[in-house]
Amino acid sequence: MKQTSSIKGHWELFKEYVKLNLATALEYRFSFVVQTITMVLNDITWLIFWWIFFTKFGSLNGWQIEHILVLYALLNLSYGLAGMFFGNKNHISSMISEGRLDFYINFPKNILFHVLISRSNWFGVGDALFGLILAAITLSLKQWPLFLLLTLSSTIIFVSFAVLAHSLAFYFGNSSETSRSLNMGIVTMSSYPSQMFGGVAKFLMLTVFPAGFISGIPVQLLYQFNWFWLISTILFSLMFLATSIYFFYKGLRKYESGSMITSRI
Amino acid sequence: MGLTKYWESCKISLYNSLVYKADFISNSLFIGLIIFIFVYLWKAVYGSGHGVIEGFTISMMVWYFVMTESIVTAPGRLIEEIGEDVQSGEIATKLNKPYNSVLFKYAYNMGQTLLRFILTFLVGGIIAFLFLGGVEINWLTLPLVGIVIILALTLHFCMMMLLGIFTFWFEDAKALNFLYNKIIFVFGGMLLPLEIFPQWLAKISAVMPFSFVAYHPARLFVIFNLNNFIRTIFLELIWIALFSGLIAIFYKSFIKKISINGG
Repeated sequence: MKQTSSIKGHWELFKEYVKLNLATALEYRFSFVVQTITMVLNDITWLIFWWIFFTKFGSLNGWQIEHILVLYALLNLSYGLAGMFFGNKNHISSMISEGRLDFYINFPKNILFHVLISRSNWFGVGDALFGLILAAITLSLKQWPLFLLLTLSSTIIFVSFAVLAHSLAFYFGNSSETSRSLNMGIVTMSSYPSQMFGGVAKFLMLTVFPAGFISGIPVQLLYQFNWFWLISTILFSLMFLATSIYFFYKGLRKYESGSMITSRI
Repeated sequence: MGLTKYWESCKISLYNSLVYKADFISNSLFIGLIIFIFVYLWKAVYGSGHGVIEGFTISMMVWYFVMTESIVTAPGRLIEEIGEDVQSGEIATKLNKPYNSVLFKYAYNMGQTLLRFILTFLVGGIIAFLFLGGVEINWLTLPLVGIVIILALTLHFCMMMLLGIFTFWFEDAKALNFLYNKIIFVFGGMLLPLEIFPQWLAKISAVMPFSFVAYHPARLFVIFNLNNFIRTIFLELIWIALFSGLIAIFYKSFIKKISINGG
């Protein structure tokens, strides 16, 4: 079956899913508002932690509270966008182990793309909103184009990492908890100044566990621009995306349908 | 005889947890990663010339964190579990059983909680030991610290149970769980001991219930002091009594609003 229909077709599908997911979220308006406010409060609590830390210690390997604010702006916006538009990334492993990919396989659109966009995580709205507010407070107008470009590359890495982590289910069966832990791990690693890590940890953060490319290097770039690291970051995010797509489709060959009859309402 | 059923439910949950080894291992690995991050964080801080910070050496600081992390993460996503029971109406099926459903939940959860606590402490302890070595502990006072920890876990349960019941009105258990955890992380002193806080904030946080879940037990673990022990136990019991009272009131009001249809 031909899976690659036009880019326009995929864009239309993406728009339809965004509308549909938003309509679903607004149907449960109270819950949607509560989730958004909670995520903002949740993010503020992290900032209070760093405020306490830097009030006591002043700086950490050259990082100060301003760096943390930019880090959280970038991290929250990219993580929020990944959740809002590719919210199914955190459910891939359970779909694989329960044999629920059949619907997507039979649909004449790119399977992975369709899987990713078919659900939104509206907790992401709170994160994205918080990231935007922080960025508006901390960045100058001149820094915005670079900030948005780096946000895009971090979003790509977040989505790709989730695809890789959840594709483990093709090889190991039900690996939902492991995939969830790996995803939580990369978010956690990304939320600390990368300058404090050294040795093996630093190597891992620039390769298989790319927290460094999600937040540490982008924050450095916003303060001290460097073409080499900008190109490396963009290339890395694209290579990581390509790897995750390859890994997913390679795993898909092992997929066994559960012959589950489901209704999508 | 009356309490045997609760003890049995505690044992059942312990056995059930042992079946889902993968969940436990991946959860412990994640917690291990966080402790690993904190080892680096404190290394960066202490590396810049601090020998002792507010009475804590670097190993005491990391072992303190191992203890707070082990306590705070032990009950798992309890608020979400209770919230699911409350919102799905599943809780109604437990009302006609010959036990107190809150006590039953406590006993059942405690089985898993204790196992998670031990596993997290082991994983965290190994990482702390490998990077920074051990910490000086008075073995004679360790059982006393154990009592404080059990009470801390009980207080943690009470607060989560109350929030779980609130999901009947609030609707979103996940959001409540997120927020409660972050409050414990920061104001409960899970991530940083209160000595690091600005004085005014430390004073407020020290009397709040959240710090009796994380800060006070972990501080006693690394710096034992009899007066602090007595004060901690006393205040933990007061907070547990207060939250138990609130649970009783809100649970009663919640039960009145449940309508059971069919059989």
